[in-house]
Amino acid sequence: MRWSIYILACLIAVAADASIGGILKLGGVQPRFLPAVVVFALFAAPRIHAVRLALLAGVLCDLLSPVVRVDGSQLIVIGPWTLGFALGALAAVPLRSLLHHRNPISGGFAVMVFSMLASVVFVTIWMIRLLVLRDELPSWWPGTGAGEVWQQSKVALASAVVAVPTIWFLDKTRTVWGFSTAKRVVPGAAREPA
Amino acid sequence: MNATRLFQFISARLTGRRLDWLLVGIAFLLSVLPARLLAPWTSDVARIVSVPIVPLMHLGMVTRDAIRPPREAFDHRAPEVIALEMQAEAARTLFEQSRLRVESLEREVSTLKGARAQIGGGAIQLETATVVGVDPTRREGLVRINVGARHGVHRDSVVILGADIFGGLVANDPTEFVSIVRPALKCNLSVRLYPAEGVEPARDPKLLQGTVLQPSEGGLWVGDIASDLPIREGEIARLSDERYGSIAKGLRVGRVRRILPNEQVPGARIVEVEPYALLVDESTVIVAMEPPERRQGP
Repeated sequence: MRWSIYILACLIAVAADASIGGILKLGGVQPRFLPAVVVFALFAAPRIHAVRLALLAGVLCDLLSPVVRVDGSQLIVIGPWTLGFALGALAAVPLRSLLHHRNPISGGFAVMVFSMLASVVFVTIWMIRLLVLRDELPSWWPGTGAGEVWQQSKVALASAVVAVPTIWFLDKTRTVWGFSTAKRVVPGAAREPA
Repeated sequence: MNATRLFQFISARLTGRRLDWLLVGIAFLLSVLPARLLAPWTSDVARIVSVPIVPLMHLGMVTRDAIRPPREAFDHRAPEVIALEMQAEAARTLFEQSRLRVESLEREVSTLKGARAQIGGGAIQLETATVVGVDPTRREGLVRINVGARHGVHRDSVVILGADIFGGLVANDPTEFVSIVRPALKCNLSVRLYPAEGVEPARDPKLLQGTVLQPSEGGLWVGDIASDLPIREGEIARLSDERYGSIAKGLRVGRVRRILPNEQVPGARIVEVEPYALLVDESTVIVAMEPPERRQGP
């Protein structure tokens, strides 16, 4: 797998989320392209890279999600989305075995699971910060954490819808990504010499 | 050499799951660091990371604008803006009208020494009228409108131009369907002069310069100013005349065009006021009629 292609795809997805994604906003819910890219890579890349792929995308997401502090300055906390993406990856990777992982609809379902778990971790980390550190307020304040999870669930659903064409398109570029196509050959009766 | 060996040892050990857990641990540690430890450096990192993203975002924004054009820039000539401005002006007039009325009532109350003021509760009737005839000589500037006694119009009903400009008074006892209007430009009007930029609500209207405007040559009014209160060109003359009833109070009459010294009275001044609108130039006006219990004789 070519990491440079993955990083470039993540950058494009983040840029799309921050710009052209606004067109798809419906009822205050804006789908995101980044989870689709991550899930596509998770479904095609070696399992050993799964968490690292997700962590990289999560760091990118954290770095571009500042929180406005009381004094008007910005604070960037690295971790909430990073850990969320990591957990999402741990949940999405087993789905490779359960789903037809080159099917865009399967990818859409995986994106929904991935995004929902990521949002749960995101909210949890911010709640920990709120209760333990009490130094900054989360971006959803004065809403509740449950409200934010509900909102992010809607985003996850929207992202799943958007992921279907996105993953279909990414699948067309599969050769560029340099995924290994080698299959492990298991000895069995069919391979026994007659 | 020891450092190289240590690095090789660590890199040999940190593979696969161990590396993942280490990275997750670092991420967790970063996520629970206090803001004072994060703020000094995370913003800088984000700024560096955003460098390659900005051109992509710009491209995305261009695409977005092409698909869904941004809203037009603010157009101060847009109909809705003009309508809002007119509403604001009308609201300001209502405000000044009410303040002048309050002032009048206070005076009345003090005069009657506690007698209960009988303020009529009837609603003011408004009628839209069309100008059906103009005095051809324009000497008197009388105008005929197509509402009359049948519509409730009575002598001295107030004629309003636009939303809040005093246009004149119904001059005679109207016929059933037609009334004759004496234009404001032919009336002596007691007015107060308001700054063009507006007045603070706390400011007492009594502190504003007042004068009596008299018709003058050239479609203007002139008024004598005896006090030395500052007056500027462009100030708004609002009707404060008791003779024209409470409806007319606060309506705009005109704007101060010139301030001249009064050569006959040293230290005094004369203001020239030009009307905001002329009744003879209008095609539609509004006639405001007070209920009978609130009418006052001029």
